[in-house]
Amino acid sequence: MAEKVSAASNPGLSPFVLWTGRNWSFVFLVLELAVFGILGVRFLRLENLQNILVASTTILLLGVGETYVIISGGIDLSVGFVMGFGAVNCAKAMVLFQSQGVPDWMAILLGAAAALAIGLIPGLVNGTLVARLNVPPFLATFGMYGIAFGSSEIISKNTPISGLPALTGAIGNGYVLYWLPGKFLRLFSRPEGLAPLELRRLIPIIPNVVVISLIFVGIFAFILARTSFGRHTYAVGGSRDAALRAGINLRAHLTKTYILSSFFASLSGVIYVLKFVTGRADAGSARMLDAVVAVVIGGASLYGGTGTIRGTLIGALIIATLETGMVNLGIPSFNRYIAIGVILVIAVLIDQFFPELVRKGE
Amino acid sequence: MEASSFSKRLLTFLGERWSAFFLVFMIFVFSLVAPNFFAVKNFSNILYFSTTYLLLAAGETFVIVSGGIDLSVGFVMGFVSVFSSTIMRDLYALGAPQSVCLLAGALVGLLLGLIPGLINGLLVARLRVPPFIATLGMYGIANGVALNLSKGFPITFLPPRAGEIGNSFLAYFFPGRGFTFLERPEGLGGDDLRLLVGILPTTVIVTGVVLLVFAFVLVRTGFGRHTFAIGGNMDAAIRAGIDVPGHLIRVYLISSFFASFAGVLYVFRAGIGNFTTMSASYELFAIAAVVIGGASLFGGKGGIGGTIIGVLILMTLENGLNITGLQAFYRYIATGVILIAAVVIDQLSPERETRSG
Repeated sequence: MAEKVSAASNPGLSPFVLWTGRNWSFVFLVLELAVFGILGVRFLRLENLQNILVASTTILLLGVGETYVIISGGIDLSVGFVMGFGAVNCAKAMVLFQSQGVPDWMAILLGAAAALAIGLIPGLVNGTLVARLNVPPFLATFGMYGIAFGSSEIISKNTPISGLPALTGAIGNGYVLYWLPGKFLRLFSRPEGLAPLELRRLIPIIPNVVVISLIFVGIFAFILARTSFGRHTYAVGGSRDAALRAGINLRAHLTKTYILSSFFASLSGVIYVLKFVTGRADAGSARMLDAVVAVVIGGASLYGGTGTIRGTLIGALIIATLETGMVNLGIPSFNRYIAIGVILVIAVLIDQFFPELVRKGE
Repeated sequence: MEASSFSKRLLTFLGERWSAFFLVFMIFVFSLVAPNFFAVKNFSNILYFSTTYLLLAAGETFVIVSGGIDLSVGFVMGFVSVFSSTIMRDLYALGAPQSVCLLAGALVGLLLGLIPGLINGLLVARLRVPPFIATLGMYGIANGVALNLSKGFPITFLPPRAGEIGNSFLAYFFPGRGFTFLERPEGLGGDDLRLLVGILPTTVIVTGVVLLVFAFVLVRTGFGRHTFAIGGNMDAAIRAGIDVPGHLIRVYLISSFFASFAGVLYVFRAGIGNFTTMSASYELFAIAAVVIGGASLFGGKGGIGGTIIGVLILMTLENGLNITGLQAFYRYIATGVILIAAVVIDQLSPERETRSG
């Protein structure tokens, strides 16, 4: 129905062009998978596809928070370094709890909780600056970019934090299911005492970190799409005056958006610790650009008011596929920075000149 | 009434020059706290390490005065550093004379460095992409190109003259033998070298000359006035007949040129070429310096003199923290806080209200 109406309002564009234009990111992802599948080595194997999913979690988590901020008409440049801040806090807290004789699983849980709680602070500061003191978002979060990195370097004393509970890596690199075809299916724990030949045939299915990430992503996708909090986010980004007239508490809402972004960045830091069993200040420094680009590829307008978590998910998958595919083909992965920069500029230009392709009409 | 206008004037006076006072205050404090801080050699050191930031921030000043921002400067610098050093290395390996290698590398680097600025300018001025997005894209692209070319390693085996020139001084003073200019006095042994005092690093002088030229351009020429006009009120600038797109393209070209200059200077100073690491945050320090120097991030205000003070504040802070044995990472925090504070102050200042209202 909505398709028809907007197609009719754009008589110059055929429905097919319009559909492709609107879903270009999905089409692009499929094409990307196809190209790497043909050129690459074992690219479309289950194992590799799961690697892509794992690689996409960092971008996806940062991207979900960034989606809220961008929809509200702002931007958060601090997410990469807040992720490092989260990672350092998480690792430090785990080591601390462990040294107090807390059992491993408890130390991990408490460490993650502590990091997530502390991780709300950068967001609160960003939000207060943007919402109450009218600091332009990219400046407020750019200042936080320096503050978060400096703080994490000081907390970590400029060295990766190690000596974490052994269980950390088992969770971060574990899978939900282990399947040995024709023999058994095990939940969570990798079966012990397997012969080398059996080990090679063992198929691990669904990485734990992907499940943890998707739970949070799912919840916040629902909030964005179906609750009044989500509707208000769109309203604030679409027309600030209208949102004010509709009685939305603009300041409080914007503050919450930045807190959310910071929360997801910290969560991404926690996942980093689970995966790499260490906490470093530069854990996410290169990821800020990825997050913004994933959101923009996903169809969000940097002028606010549009964007979806589904789109961001596709954006994150596109970047992760590109990364994994380049490694697979033996292309130096540095090239992805170029590709991502170009994609960002092109996406903004499309948004600028063909708004009817991006704005899906609320 | 009178008293209030006097106190208001005093506050304005202090407010406009707070950065200069702050710099003096900081030098005073560090001199008291850190034993080796107040010394010619240390000040010379601060200047020596400031050159990179001075150049980046000077270019950024033009962009910020015009109402934009350039997040790509740090990576453009790395890209040029890698490019020009690669050319020097390859020519040197082919047996070209050192001077030819250095000249060719520097010139090609400076020329190539204009490309990112041209693209940024076209995107911002002609295609109306918001400046921070256009330059954020370039941040990724320049970084990728630099990493790709260098394969993630520093470029070494450059002509040795590069490092010699980059680390020379304008004058040398050797106790008992007087001054020599540009060249070290001959026939000095290892122990004598320790007594040798170098006065004013050559790189500082070169940077100073470039800054002077562009300070003049910003303050005294039509180009400078137009830059202020565009940043102050874009509509008025258009009505006044200024070719705004053409002007903005040139502003981003200037910023890129300064970044390239910093890249080439880096090669001479370090004797190697290197890409910029992600957490080096050059753009943060450059922008913070410009803002500390009194520029408004909303455009129309700023100056090279203020920017120089801004850079010196940040570099003195780093140097002082290092000497006192504190972690230099505090400077990231300090810089972030100063940047935000400056914007908040700018936002709250009465002048801004009258301008926007």
